[in-house]
Amino acid sequence: MKITARTPLRDVATAVGHALAEHGIRAILTGGACASLHSDGAYLSQDIDFILAGRVAVSALDAAMAANGFVRRANRYVHPESPFWVEFPRGPLAVGADLKIEPRPLGPEPLGTLALTPTDSCRDRLAAFYHWNDRQSLEVAILIAVRNEIDHDLVRRWSSGEGHLARYEEFRRELARRIDLHGSQA
Amino acid sequence: MRRTTSSPFGGETRTRVLVALGLLETSYARELARLLVAPVSGVRKAIAALERDGLVSGRLVGRTRVVQLNPTYFAREALEAYLLRLAEADLELQVGVRALRRRPRQSGKPL
Repeated sequence: MKITARTPLRDVATAVGHALAEHGIRAILTGGACASLHSDGAYLSQDIDFILAGRVAVSALDAAMAANGFVRRANRYVHPESPFWVEFPRGPLAVGADLKIEPRPLGPEPLGTLALTPTDSCRDRLAAFYHWNDRQSLEVAILIAVRNEIDHDLVRRWSSGEGHLARYEEFRRELARRIDLHGSQA
Repeated sequence: MRRTTSSPFGGETRTRVLVALGLLETSYARELARLLVAPVSGVRKAIAALERDGLVSGRLVGRTRVVQLNPTYFAREALEAYLLRLAEADLELQVGVRALRRRPRQSGKPL
């Protein structure tokens, strides 16, 4: 597909993930872009982070990214038209101390872009709330949880392991309040 | 000057920045440079590399970039324990940290 200035985040991320897979590179969409997709765009992110599974030569990455018109500038890949840029933060794929992360394809296609599940994307945002008291991340975690089925038992156990049960309870209270007020449109 | 302690994090400055952050919890490039008696530019480079590796995270507070061990790093607990053990072997750093004043000081109070 041709990426233009108007191509939405989901389509850019999907195209990049598809090109990476076609070049034999396994990569998992994470971070703010993933949170943006799971919150149906209620949260906006311009940087698209993929964690690479295994070692990948920069030349191979350059070739895969060039398939969609992205070129490397320092540590990121930029596009001449798209406002989104792509980065490959160093792994491993983890949410806080949890390394047992099982990504899922974003769409039904065989070469579908792998991404964090809504539960893991929610945990990823909660980690920033827990450890940096970042209230914006709490807001995004709520937006994800309102719109998706979340494994709350897992989130609670993980929050306990991160040493932040009190903040998890705050998240649950605020989530319940939003759902009471607005339903799934919160 | 040749050091007698090891540099398991890929370089002396990188290792000592990490060990110092293990002791101080938060700091910034200039403070770390003073503490480690190292050029600020070298400390900034070390911090940037550690951030890329996910070991350190930083944020702007006013005009100062405050850094800390990344609290969301998957091996944070093990890393902290290891750094504290390394700190035991770096007497020079221990002396420097003990000399740092970090407690609050009321504004306007004479030095």
